[in-house]
Amino acid sequence: MGLFFNPFNNLICILLGISLTVWFTMLLVFIIVPAIFGVSFGIRRLYMKTLLKVFKWATLRLERGAKEKNHLLYKPYSNAIIAREPTSLEEEIKEIRRSGSNRDLNSASEFEMSDIFYFARRGVESIMDDEVTKRFSAEELQSWNLLTRSNYNFHYISLRLTVLWGLGLLIRYGFLLPLRVTLAFTGVGLLVFLTSIVGLLPNGRVKNYLSEKVHLMCYRICVRALTAIITYHDSENKPKNGGICVANHTSPIDVIILASDGCYAMVGQIHGGLMGVIQRSMVKACPHIWFERSEVKDRHLVAKRLTDHAEDKSKLPILIFPEGTCINNTSVMMFKKGSFEIEAKVYPVAIKYDPRFGDAFWNSSKYGMVSYLLRMMSSWAIVCSVWYLPPMFREEGEDAVQFANRVKAAIARQGGLVDLLWDGGLKRGKVKDTFKEEQQKLYSKILVGAQEDRSRS
Amino acid sequence: MGASQTRTEDVFQELSDKTGFSLEQIRILHKRFRQLSGDEDTISKENLEKIQALDKNPIRNQIIEAFFDKRNQNDGEVGSSREIGFQQFVKVMCHFKPPTLKMTTEDKEAMRREKLRFLFNMHDTDNDGTITLDEYRKVVEELLSKSGAIGLEAAKAIADAAMLEVASINVPHMEPHEFYEGITFEHFEQILKGLEMESRMNIRFLDVDTSTMHCGKSQ
Repeated sequence: MGLFFNPFNNLICILLGISLTVWFTMLLVFIIVPAIFGVSFGIRRLYMKTLLKVFKWATLRLERGAKEKNHLLYKPYSNAIIAREPTSLEEEIKEIRRSGSNRDLNSASEFEMSDIFYFARRGVESIMDDEVTKRFSAEELQSWNLLTRSNYNFHYISLRLTVLWGLGLLIRYGFLLPLRVTLAFTGVGLLVFLTSIVGLLPNGRVKNYLSEKVHLMCYRICVRALTAIITYHDSENKPKNGGICVANHTSPIDVIILASDGCYAMVGQIHGGLMGVIQRSMVKACPHIWFERSEVKDRHLVAKRLTDHAEDKSKLPILIFPEGTCINNTSVMMFKKGSFEIEAKVYPVAIKYDPRFGDAFWNSSKYGMVSYLLRMMSSWAIVCSVWYLPPMFREEGEDAVQFANRVKAAIARQGGLVDLLWDGGLKRGKVKDTFKEEQQKLYSKILVGAQEDRSRS
Repeated sequence: MGASQTRTEDVFQELSDKTGFSLEQIRILHKRFRQLSGDEDTISKENLEKIQALDKNPIRNQIIEAFFDKRNQNDGEVGSSREIGFQQFVKVMCHFKPPTLKMTTEDKEAMRREKLRFLFNMHDTDNDGTITLDEYRKVVEELLSKSGAIGLEAAKAIADAAMLEVASINVPHMEPHEFYEGITFEHFEQILKGLEMESRMNIRFLDVDTSTMHCGKSQ
């Protein structure tokens, strides 16, 4: 018995060794080496095209299944016709009255003729675009991308589709995920290691050159770790030294996407843990702007450091996401004016993700960072487009807010995003819908409450 | 198939020129129209009443009525239609377009007047050109009374007070025997003169189909 197992064991060990070697060589040749030199074999684009064909097939089957049962399909991505602003009843009525000529009220107290504006507009909005009618219709379904997290029509899956989905699951979690995790660790590890080494060199042209190469290489590996297929448009407008690069923000991946095509100085708060290690080693190789937690609140300090950096023409362009939080990639919200008060050229960049391959939006109130990254790494791919817009200057007589809005509009227009006026912070506090009577109750409470105040005083 | 496609496209182009919506927006509006009408060529009041989201709105009936009100078509006719086609639908939607950067002050004034007219028509249900006390009371009641916090009597009182205010602004030196007929359109405009309408009566219509963007060569 023992004799029987021995050669068998050996065989297994040899096979394992060979396959691991083959695995790593392929990894090296097809992924890491191109990342170092910045070339691409086109494997990812081929992959993307194949995926699209598969998705189309899956969608047709779903539609067929639904048609047989004579039901309507639920569409997760339907055309938005209008942009709805979720302000509450009280806020809007206050706004309306504040802008009216008759009185200057601070509270929405008495009935005003203009109150009807709010209800009229809301009513027409509902006619134009309500959730129910929009989502359940007999129109063509946008394609299903074989991820259960984005499938709402699971009643209609046939056996073949289930098999396909199972296969997809196997591929994604069994093959792609480990591959990507390996790459991610490699990328991050190399980044920390190499930037520390480069940091030992004396300041000078060699150091800058090497640091640029190291940064680019590691970010490219990270891009491959996410299987991100990025198309860069208008590269002649790429940000240059001494400027500020401004982009809309959908997910933390935005940083990797932009940084793999050019070198930027990042701005941010110093974290603890792994992030902190990465940040500290990065700053050894080239000057990034990291703030201590306490310094973040001090707006003047922040502005001063950014200005100092921007004035030094030898330093890299600063990368800032003015929205301050992740938005769901259909709109661009209010740009915080702080970044626009600095006297420097602004290079706007628009990033738009293709939702067919997976939703890249990070809802930080729902998912933590790690679970978000896992979701990203276990989806098929991340496909996005980056547009470099021509640089903009603050004009005479324009204040920071107007300039910020101008840049925001340019970005929204280029990326096909909706230009919204409100603050991204509203995302965290959703407005609840109320039924007709509750709406009336609320409205009348506003009036009655004020009257009571008056009778009391 | 081909011929009817081009004809619809022509109709859309014509509508786009007339109303100022882009061709893409008209197409999206058309899709919405078909959704609401159940794939028919006209929408009736029942189609609009089926919208659940509209149930939450206190002045739901007035809004639905506004779509079928011939005065909002700017054709010179009065009265109410039973059903409307796509063209009429789009014309009503026009009242909610935001002003563009390229508009002159006169254009903006005209647009503002149109929006005010829309609201005026919502109040003036008997089409006589004035909002009488009764008509105004009705609107206020719709907005307030069913909730229970403010009873019918209180709603009436609020409406009366509002009318009095309007009267005092517009006809400041009224003799005791004179009777305030009702709010004419000019008075209506006067009351709401300073009101910033640009963001209140606007619905931002999206330009681009935001659901899928294709990656690849830039156009």
